[in-house]
Amino acid sequence: MSVTAESAPWSSTAQPAPWISEDWLSLWIGLGIVVLALGGLVGVDLLGWAVSTSVWIDPGLALGTVSKAYAGLGGAGALMVTYLALLAVLSAGALALNLDLKRFAVTFTAVFALAYASWIIGSFAYVAAVTPADQQKFGIGWSLKLTNEGGYVVALLAGLVIANFLPRFAEWLKEAVRPELYIKIAIVILGAFLAVTAAGKLTLASSILLRGVAAIIEAYLIYWAVVYYIARRWFGFNREWAAPLASGISICGVSAAIATGGAIRARPLVPVMVSSLVVIFAVVEVLILPFLAQTFLWQEPMVAGAWMGLAIKTDGAAVAGGGIAEALILAKSAAEGVHYQPGWILGVTATVKVFIDIFIGIWAFVLGYIWTNHINPTRDTDKARASEIWQRFPKFILGFVATFLAGLYLALGTSPEIAAKVPAQIGEANTFRVIFFILTFFCIGLISNFKKLWQEGIGKLAAVYLVSLFGFVIWVGLIISWLFFAGIKPPLAT
Amino acid sequence: MSQPDIRKELQNAPVEPWLPIESKLVGWSLGIGLVLLAVLVLINHFVPVTI
Repeated sequence: MSVTAESAPWSSTAQPAPWISEDWLSLWIGLGIVVLALGGLVGVDLLGWAVSTSVWIDPGLALGTVSKAYAGLGGAGALMVTYLALLAVLSAGALALNLDLKRFAVTFTAVFALAYASWIIGSFAYVAAVTPADQQKFGIGWSLKLTNEGGYVVALLAGLVIANFLPRFAEWLKEAVRPELYIKIAIVILGAFLAVTAAGKLTLASSILLRGVAAIIEAYLIYWAVVYYIARRWFGFNREWAAPLASGISICGVSAAIATGGAIRARPLVPVMVSSLVVIFAVVEVLILPFLAQTFLWQEPMVAGAWMGLAIKTDGAAVAGGGIAEALILAKSAAEGVHYQPGWILGVTATVKVFIDIFIGIWAFVLGYIWTNHINPTRDTDKARASEIWQRFPKFILGFVATFLAGLYLALGTSPEIAAKVPAQIGEANTFRVIFFILTFFCIGLISNFKKLWQEGIGKLAAVYLVSLFGFVIWVGLIISWLFFAGIKPPLAT
Repeated sequence: MSQPDIRKELQNAPVEPWLPIESKLVGWSLGIGLVLLAVLVLINHFVPVTI
C-alpha cells in the first residue's frame, strides 16, 4: 500500500526520504503526457506510437497504434514501445521516490505484462461485444457484453487471484504495485479529456460542477458524522480508530484515512489497516455497482455517474467504476437506439470524486484542531497548524485542474484550426489514461489479500464498514445523486 | 507491531467515554450538512439544468 511522504510524516523507516512525493510525481508525469500529446497541434505527433486495443476475434487484429501515422510499427511493436516508454518514465519516478530501481524495473515488467494481458483478454469479442450487430460482425452467437472496459474487471480479477492464491508472487511484485500513483497520473490526464468533452456543452458542464458541491456536503458533513457515531457508539471503537475509519468510509478511502490518522496523531498502523479495508470494499463495489447501474439506472445515466463517485470510496475504483458504468450504460442505451456522447458519465464521477478530494486537507485540519485542542490537548508545537491544510492537500488535483483548464482553453480559446485538432491529440493522451487505469485495477486486486487481512483481525473493522456502506452510504448516495441529477441526460453523439 | 493482531488490540482496548466535544462535532456536522443540502436542493429545483 503506497503511503506518500506528505501524508505520513510520522512514519519512520530506514529508507532515505524520497526526493518527491507520489502526489507531486503523479502530477508531473500526468502533465508531461498531456504536454507531449499536444505536440500534434504544431504538427509533431509525439505519442501516436502508443498501443491501442480493439475488440477482437482475430488476435492479429487486437493491437494497433493510436495514430495511423505510426501504423508501420504494428500492434506488437506499439505494445513494446509503449512498455519501454512507461518503464523509462516510471523508473525515473522510482529513482525520485528512492525505490530499488532494478527491482522496480523487473516487477513493473511483470505487472505491465499481466495487466495488459488482462486488458487484451477483456477485449476478446466473446467478452466485450455488446450489440447483435457487433456479434454478427465478429461471427459469434453470444458474448458477455462487458464492453472492452470489462478489461478493467478482468485485470482486477487477475490481481485478486494472484493476491489470494499466489501470495508470495504478489508480495514479490510489491515494488511496482502502486495503485495510488497510477490512478493519480490517470486523473491528471483525465482532466484534459473531460475538458474537451465539456467544451461542447459548457452550461451542462458548469451545472454538473455546481452539483458536485452537494457531494462535498454529503461526504464530509453527513456521512462522516453518521459513520463516526456508528463506529463509536454501536461498535465501541476508540477515537483513534473511529476517526480514520469514518474518513475512509465516508470521504475518500486511502487518502482521507491517512490524512485523518495524521491529523489526530494516530499510530501509522491505524490508517494503513483502514486503507486496506477500504480497498477490499472498493473492489467488491466495482464488481457490483456498475452492473446495478446498468440494470436500474441506464435511463438516468448522470445519476449513475454521480452514484459511482459518492458510493465507491477510493479514487481509483470510483473513477474506473464510473468508466465501466459509462461503457455499460452507453452500450445498453445504444441497443435501445439512443447514442450518448461518451465522457459525460465518467465526467460526473470524476467531478464528484475530485470535489470530495479537494477538501481532505481542510477536514483533516478541522479534526486535527479538535483533537489537539480539545480531545488530546498537546503542547503548542504539536497542535494542528493551518499549514497542514496545504501539506495534506492532494497535489495531483492541481494537475487535474491544470489539464482541465488547458484543455478548455485549447478547445474554446484558440483558432478553429487548432481547436479541431485538440480532441485527437487529447485522445492520444487518453490512451495512457486507460493504461494507467488498467494498472490501477490490477494493482488494487494485488493488494486485496482477503485471507491475510482476516487473519490480522480486520473483522470488527469490516463489520463497521459493512453496516455503514451497505446500510447508509450507498443508498443515501443514490438518493442524493437522484435529487441532483435525475432527468439530466448526456448530449447525444453526433 | 510486526504482524498486526487487530482483533486482540480491539478486544483489549479500553472503553473511551463519549465526550461533549464529540456530540458537538457530530451534531454540528449533521445539522449544517442537512441545512446546506436542503438549500442546494432548493437551488437545484429553482435553477434547473440547461443544456
